[in-house]
Amino acid sequence: MIRLLGRARLRVLTVALLGVGLVRGEPVPTAVGDFLSHYCAGCHSVAQPPNGVRLPPDEIEWRDRGQARVWERVQVALATSGMPPAGAPQPDSGERARTASWVEAQLLAHSGPAASIPRRLNRAEYRNTIRALFDMPEFELPASFPADSSGDGFDNLAHGLTVSGPLLAEYVALAARVADEVLPPKAPPESAPRKSYALSPTAFDSSAGRAVADRAFRIVSSRNMASAAAWPSRFEAAHSGVYRVTVRASVFQSEGMFYAPREKGVRLGLYARPKTGQFYAPFGDLRKVAEFSLPAGNHAPAHLSAEVELYAGELFGIRWEDGPAYSDPPRRDYSHRFLADRLTRDRLYYAAMLEFGGGPRGTTQEQVYEATRALMESGTLDLSDPRLDGLPEVWGGGLSDAPHNWIKAFVHEEMMRFGPAVDVSGIEVVGPVRLVEDAAARARRARAEAFAAGPGPEATARERAVLVLGRFLAAAFRRPATSGQVRAYADLALQHVLETPGARLEDGLRLAVRQALVSPRFLYRGLRPGPLDQFDFASRLSYFLTSAPPDEPLLALANRGALAGSAVLAGEVDRLLASKLSDNFVRSFAGQWLSTRTLKGIMPDPRLLKFYDPDREALVAEAEMFFAEILRKNLPVETFIEPGFSYRSARHNKIYGTALEGNQMRRVTLQPGDRHAGLLGMAAVMMATANGVDTNPVPRGVWVLENILGRPPGEPPPSVPAIAPDTRGAPSILAQLASHRADPACASCHSEIDPLGTVLENFDPVGRWRERYPVYMQPADGEAPLEEDFYSTEGKGVIPGPPVVTVGILSDGTRLESVADLRRLVLTRADEFAACLAEKLLAYGTGRAPGFADRRVAQRIARDAVARGAGFRDLLVAVVQSEAFSLR
Amino acid sequence: MTDRHGRRRFLHGLGASIALPMLERFAVRRSTAATPPSGPLQRLVCAGTYLGFYQPHFFPSQVGQRYGFPPALGPLEGFRERLTILSGLDHRGRNGHHGWKAWLSGSVGGGVSFDQVVAGHVGDRTRFDSLQVTCGNPPDEARLSFTPEGVALPMIGRPSVLYAKLFRSGADTQRVRYLLATNRSVLDGAVAEARALEQGSGSHDRQKLGEYFAAVRSVERRLGKQAMWLDRPVPEVDYSLPEFDPVAPNLALECESIMYDLIGLALATDSTRVVSFTIPGWSQVFSIGGRNLSAGYHGLSHHGNDPQRIADYTLVGIEHSRRLAGLLRTLDRATDGQGRPLLDTTAVLFGSGMGDANTHDNSNLPTVVAGGAFRHGRHQHYDRNAAATRLLGDLFVTLMQGFGMEVERFAGARSGLAEDLA
Repeated sequence: MIRLLGRARLRVLTVALLGVGLVRGEPVPTAVGDFLSHYCAGCHSVAQPPNGVRLPPDEIEWRDRGQARVWERVQVALATSGMPPAGAPQPDSGERARTASWVEAQLLAHSGPAASIPRRLNRAEYRNTIRALFDMPEFELPASFPADSSGDGFDNLAHGLTVSGPLLAEYVALAARVADEVLPPKAPPESAPRKSYALSPTAFDSSAGRAVADRAFRIVSSRNMASAAAWPSRFEAAHSGVYRVTVRASVFQSEGMFYAPREKGVRLGLYARPKTGQFYAPFGDLRKVAEFSLPAGNHAPAHLSAEVELYAGELFGIRWEDGPAYSDPPRRDYSHRFLADRLTRDRLYYAAMLEFGGGPRGTTQEQVYEATRALMESGTLDLSDPRLDGLPEVWGGGLSDAPHNWIKAFVHEEMMRFGPAVDVSGIEVVGPVRLVEDAAARARRARAEAFAAGPGPEATARERAVLVLGRFLAAAFRRPATSGQVRAYADLALQHVLETPGARLEDGLRLAVRQALVSPRFLYRGLRPGPLDQFDFASRLSYFLTSAPPDEPLLALANRGALAGSAVLAGEVDRLLASKLSDNFVRSFAGQWLSTRTLKGIMPDPRLLKFYDPDREALVAEAEMFFAEILRKNLPVETFIEPGFSYRSARHNKIYGTALEGNQMRRVTLQPGDRHAGLLGMAAVMMATANGVDTNPVPRGVWVLENILGRPPGEPPPSVPAIAPDTRGAPSILAQLASHRADPACASCHSEIDPLGTVLENFDPVGRWRERYPVYMQPADGEAPLEEDFYSTEGKGVIPGPPVVTVGILSDGTRLESVADLRRLVLTRADEFAACLAEKLLAYGTGRAPGFADRRVAQRIARDAVARGAGFRDLLVAVVQSEAFSLR
Repeated sequence: MTDRHGRRRFLHGLGASIALPMLERFAVRRSTAATPPSGPLQRLVCAGTYLGFYQPHFFPSQVGQRYGFPPALGPLEGFRERLTILSGLDHRGRNGHHGWKAWLSGSVGGGVSFDQVVAGHVGDRTRFDSLQVTCGNPPDEARLSFTPEGVALPMIGRPSVLYAKLFRSGADTQRVRYLLATNRSVLDGAVAEARALEQGSGSHDRQKLGEYFAAVRSVERRLGKQAMWLDRPVPEVDYSLPEFDPVAPNLALECESIMYDLIGLALATDSTRVVSFTIPGWSQVFSIGGRNLSAGYHGLSHHGNDPQRIADYTLVGIEHSRRLAGLLRTLDRATDGQGRPLLDTTAVLFGSGMGDANTHDNSNLPTVVAGGAFRHGRHQHYDRNAAATRLLGDLFVTLMQGFGMEVERFAGARSGLAEDLA
């Protein structure tokens, strides 16, 4: 048998649960023990029994899910007369049925709602809850906030959501921080001495200009507008306030310039940005705080003054707003037209460009300029070269064309030397002249007013506290607060005011808010076992479909006791899925079910292809948009396997060999039989089930069993080493797997796992189709390592290796030759696939670890749904309507 | 480069003028409070450059003692006998910038980093268990230190913030005291609510709430430590920060100098004993020796084997080494309670979690160890293909053992490098 790294972690979790004593073995009743001894022990009591099933056991730990899984198989084997095998002594039907039903009863009694526990809010739920509770849409968790552990494939299952010291410490700290945002403490008046700053032109930070002999900083207009400004990085606003800025600037145009002298003046914009922000933020995202005009023509520096608002931590930048090559949206193509014009007008210049060809990588702007100028002045260029006629469109048109970069470099350097340009010879800043309330402070004040709204001026402190806290606690605990709770929190607030010198009621209320935000009633849901009441049900439904607390309509239904009945529930599911917040469900559920969340941790081998973050995002977006369409259009679950459509952009071309244009995702139609159709061919899934470097049929086969067919294989014995694929192809991974299957202890699982993964070997680690394994050429000893580009763009570093073999035979004799066979197989077992999906929805929705009882429910829902030709959303509604969903 | 000589001169004199009396005070406290540490190492600094180094300029071409000092490390040559250059070490981990978070942990999945293991061992003796430092505001992925729970610790990127954390008291002490006191009362209230919920709940629910109670106790211990240090005066240092924080990306080297100064002061005043320092890199164009480099820093790291870019890439590397040399000098001049230079009991790990930035290859990570009582003065090479090959984790094992910790394995390593270093 083969051990999988991913599954090893699961084992650790199981052991940990055993360790804390959640799991305790129960003895086997005598009658059952006798049955097992008599009919099973002959084979199943040796040291290494078949499938690791040792019968009879000394005791059974029903809550250990590994053991429960084994007993599920025992139950099926007994109920279907699959065991004992033919030729062995057979029990009579009564004995068989009694033992099978005892096992079933035990499994039911120890799984599903019977095994449920309170469920902590996970990271995303906690963040969304704070956002909703306090109207803080921008709220983000700090970097120090711990990640959730994910058990059984989802990060929102109750047993995986533990509370540790560091997590609680974050809750405590965040409670204080958030409470300050809601009820800002009275701050001492800010002391903000007015200061003067003289900013020297040499202290600018920009690639749009450079210092000229320490006298001035020259800003040219540039295609790369993101950096086409000058930022005096030795200044930052210490306080949010008004600053008086004076810029000394002039227009520079030399005699020898290539442009007609500018007739109109120059507009200079002043922008504010956070000091630690990155350069390449688009200008549209920055705050423009002032604009100046400079007269046309060379002139002495003009003094341009303005009073501008800067928030604490911001600095400002100066930008030439209407230079010859600006390209902000919506006029993004302006710079291309500018360059095309420039090239068409001056054929000599253009011929020099063609001759020069850009120079080697690493050529500087100055070198491009000098080399091109030398060619222009050499008199050797052939101006009748017909290639010159077609090039302006080619070079002027596309952002991604390689020559564009050095044409830009040439123009940039030319303008730097001869103009037109703006020279900034000094900046003075004085301030803050007066303090201002920044956006965050304004939002705080609005929140404080909303929080305290209600009681009239004549209300006593207690009346105020009771009213305000009653409203707040109901929202925080997602159910009406009892009068006892409200009294306790009001007491806390009033007591704090009494005991703290100088405290106001707000200080007491703030403490009460902090208290509520670390209360188990806020941090957990499902604190009561058994059937959920209306409010717990509203929370379950809401967090299920939006990862956020219940909204007003849901709470109103719960208040009336009307959140029940098929029609109401179906209506609420539709309503929630129609809301923007349901994107949370799509991202979270699909990202975990399809493992596409793991993509951000996978760095594809650069020898395979160049792969950038936007490519990764495009792959994830394809999976999510595909999932969302099936959900929102209520398409049959079979659509996941054979869809006839997907969502893609030009970023997918290098994966799928398509020729789409533009990076905008759009719906594409797929022909029947498309290799990459559906989940069993989608690049995101194939990448998630590989490691970025090579593929291994075992994780992919396990993935198909766990996530498509709903038949997770048993745990491998701990003593077996993992198989690592050998990328050189010999001995092939298939041969290694075959030798493993020769061991009967491994065969029972691997005869299922291996063919399912092998048939996917046509997909390389990034999901591209391949028919041969790649073999990488190694640089000889002492040679420089091959460049990334060498492999991917030239293809010289890779030679085709051994052919990919995908044929395998499942234990029931089904022969799988290609991924098309696998799709057919899944489609013939559509109810198994639907049950697998329903089980995952039930687990994700209820927070219960998948178990026998819920599996039974999921199978029933799925059979029924497939039989009536129901869609995916119908399946989801049926899950919500099931009794299992309304039990904790 | 900006002229920072005025302040540097002061720091060079720090061992004599300030650190001595201060450390004597700490020495007294140590002798009465904590048990004396058993290993010779007392402090750990891990400083790494996010964009790596040009490896042929970092690793000497000869091994052993008689090696030519590599250009990228040039400014450290004065410490030749106090440091070891190690090549061939890595985690056999994933390539790309994502490998950065594995530098000190060996795991891209957020496993504990070895500096935090050390902090768990020596951290309770000082005001801060450990410090995480950077320059400016790099992305979260650049964080280096991971707690045993897998939490990536946030870094301080503003000199003024780090300075205030270490050496400023007064104005906000009252606020901190208030928060500590009220946090305790909040926790008391939370426990009372959990107890109420516990009444009449089943055993599994009680188990779940048990986690909650255990977490409360852990936070209470943490608050206790904070309260204890709040009542002790902060060290007084004579150090002047610039008027503004040089946190804009093009001033990153200037920020790096100040951060090293503050790290030196933090260690000299025994405010902490464990520091990790992410030296970040973006696309900023540095100006060195009055010349703008031929490309942005990130562009230089993807040099494409262009000689000019390689030369400029190494110029930045030299600036990093120069700043580290400043810290080593500080630690060499400051002395502890027994009059020993701090450097003798401080392990300084310098290098990168990025092997070859040009190809995003994370094998053969640039690694230097300075300080401590190790057998230094050599370039130690480990053959990655040898049967008894060594991992970077082996170095961490040896460093942890240097603190007297009983550690044999870390990040896949199980041997240590004691036979070469100890």
